[in-house]
Amino acid sequence: MIFVKSLYKSYNNGKTEVLRDVSLSIDDGEFAVILGASGSGKSTLMNVMSGLEKADKGEITVNGNNLNAMTDKQLTEFRKNYVGFVFQQYYLLPHLSVASNIKLGADLAKNNDFDEIIQALRLADKLNKHPSELSGGEQQRVCIARALAKKPRILFLDEPTGALDENTGRDVLDCIMKQKEKLGFTMVMVTHNQNIAETAQKVILMNSGKIVDIRANKTQKTAYEIGW
Amino acid sequence: MIISAKSALKLIGITIVCFCAVFVCTFFLNFYLDILPLRSKVAELMLPLYDAQLATAQMCCSVTGGVLALIAGVMVIFYVTLYVDEHSKELGTLKALGYSAARLALSFAAFGLSALIGCALGYGLGHAIMPSVYEWLTIEGLTVEIHYHVSLLFALVIAPPILFGIVAYVCAYVKLKKPALEILKNKRKERKVKANAKPIKNKNSFLKEISIKTVSANKLLTFFVTFSCFCFSAMVQMGASMESLVDGTMGWMILAIGLVLAITSAFMALTSLVRNASKSIAMMKTFGYSLGKCVTSVFVGFIPFALLGFAVGTGYQYGLLYLMVNLIFKDVGEIPNYSFNVGAMFITLAAFIMCYAAITAFYVAKINKVSVKEIMLEN
Repeated sequence: MIFVKSLYKSYNNGKTEVLRDVSLSIDDGEFAVILGASGSGKSTLMNVMSGLEKADKGEITVNGNNLNAMTDKQLTEFRKNYVGFVFQQYYLLPHLSVASNIKLGADLAKNNDFDEIIQALRLADKLNKHPSELSGGEQQRVCIARALAKKPRILFLDEPTGALDENTGRDVLDCIMKQKEKLGFTMVMVTHNQNIAETAQKVILMNSGKIVDIRANKTQKTAYEIGW
Repeated sequence: MIISAKSALKLIGITIVCFCAVFVCTFFLNFYLDILPLRSKVAELMLPLYDAQLATAQMCCSVTGGVLALIAGVMVIFYVTLYVDEHSKELGTLKALGYSAARLALSFAAFGLSALIGCALGYGLGHAIMPSVYEWLTIEGLTVEIHYHVSLLFALVIAPPILFGIVAYVCAYVKLKKPALEILKNKRKERKVKANAKPIKNKNSFLKEISIKTVSANKLLTFFVTFSCFCFSAMVQMGASMESLVDGTMGWMILAIGLVLAITSAFMALTSLVRNASKSIAMMKTFGYSLGKCVTSVFVGFIPFALLGFAVGTGYQYGLLYLMVNLIFKDVGEIPNYSFNVGAMFITLAAFIMCYAAITAFYVAKINKVSVKEIMLEN
C-alpha cells in the first residue's frame, strides 16, 4: 500500500513549490492514474512515491517503508526490491540489444525466466535487435518488458503513451493492462490524457502542486474503448 | 562563431601533448643542429660520445615527437567527433538553413589554436632551459654555443597548428557532409550499432555484458586509457632509471612529462566515458543497481587495457634504455651497465594502482551525482 500524508516538495531553495500538502493512498493491486496538466507536479509526486526523490516534509510509506526517512542507499535497495519504471522517452540503452535491455531489469530480481513476458509483449523476434532498429511502440514494449522482468510490486509509468500515435498508444496501453491483470502488481500512471484516466480504478487529479480531486471509477474501460 | 571559447578550453589535452612534444624536441633538435657542423673540432677520443649525442638527439626527437604528434592528431579527431556529436542539433540546424559543410567545417580549423598555444609554450620553455641542457650534454673540449634556428621555429611552432587545423577541418567536413536531417538525428551511432549487431546467444549477466559493450562502444577512449597507463609506466620507470644512469634533472623531467601526459589523457578519456555512460548509469540507478555495480559496469572492462598499457610501457622503456646504453653509448666509457630495474617496476606498479584507485574514487563521486531527472531534462 502507498500512503502519502501532507507531502511538500520545492526546488530552488524553496522558491518553487511543486507539491503542497499532498495526501493520498493507493491500495495493493490498484491501478491509479495521476492526472494533471504540465507543471501540475504529477511527475514529481511519482518520483517521490517511487523513491527517486525525497520530499521536503510529510509522510510517505510504501509497503511499510518510510521513504522520507531512508538514506540514498536504502532508497536504492527499495527501488531494487519493489519498483519498476516505464518512461515516456523509453530510456533504453542504445548500445545494448533488446535482450540485454530486458536483462537490466531481470538480473536485479535474479529472474531467468522472462520468456513469458517476451511472448506477451510480442518481442520474441526482436531480441537481437538494437533500440535504434525498433519503432516507438516496439521500444515502449521493450521498456515495459524491462520493467516487468524485474517482478515489481509497484509499476510506475510516466506518460507511457505520450510519444506514440493513437493506434500504437492503444496497443501499448492494452499490453500494460493485460500484464497488470495477469501479474496483479500495483500500478501508478502519470498522464495528462483524460481519456486514459477512464481505464484506471482511481483517478488523482492535480493542479498547481495540489490534489484537487480523487475519484474512483466504478467501471474501467479498456484501451480500445476510450477516446484518444 | 560555432566554436565557443568554453569549448576551446576543453582542447587543453591537445595543448598539453603539443607542449610536451615541442618542449622535448626544441632543446634536442637545437642541440643537434648546433653540434652537427662541429664534428671536425671534436677530439678523436671524444668522437664516440659525439656520435652518441647526435644519435640520442635524433632518437629522442623522432620517438617522443613522433608518438606525441600522432597522439595529438588522434586527440584532434576525437574532439572534432565529440563536438559534432554533442552539437548535432545546432550544426544540423545551420546545415538545414543553408550553410555548406565546408563553411561549417572551417570553424573547426580553430582547433589548431590549442596546438599553437602548446607549441609556443613548449618552444619557449625549451629555450629557457636550453643552457642547462647544453651543460648536461657537453662534450669535453668542445664549446657549443646556443643558436636560434628559424627552421625550428617553423617546424615546431608554426607547422603543427596548421597541420592540426587542416586535420580538424577535414575531419569536420567528412562528418558534416551528411544530409542535414541525418546530422540533426545524430545517425552515426545508430548506424554503428546496426553494423555491430550480432545475434546474442550468450548467457552473460547484464553487468558483464554492459561492461563489455561499454568498452566496444568506446574504442577511442580505450586507446587513451591504454596510452595513459603506457605513459605512466614508461616515463616513471624511465625517470627512475635515468637518475641512476645519467642525471637526476633529466630523470625528474621525464617523470614530470610522463605524469602530465598520463593524467591529461586519463582525465580526458574517463570524463568522456562517464559522460557517455551517464544515461545508462541513471537508468541503472533508477532501477535499483547499487553505486558499486554502476561503477563496475563502467570501469571494469578497462582494467585489462590499463594493465596492457602498463606492460607495454614497461617493455618500451626497457627497450629504449637498452638501445641507448648498450648500443648507442656502448663505446662511451663513462656510461654504467644497464639492466632491467625490477625495484622501479614494482614501485611504479604500486603507484599506478594507487593512482587508478584515486581516479576511480573521483569518478565514483561524479557517478553518484548522476540522476534520472537530469537525463529527463536533457530530452
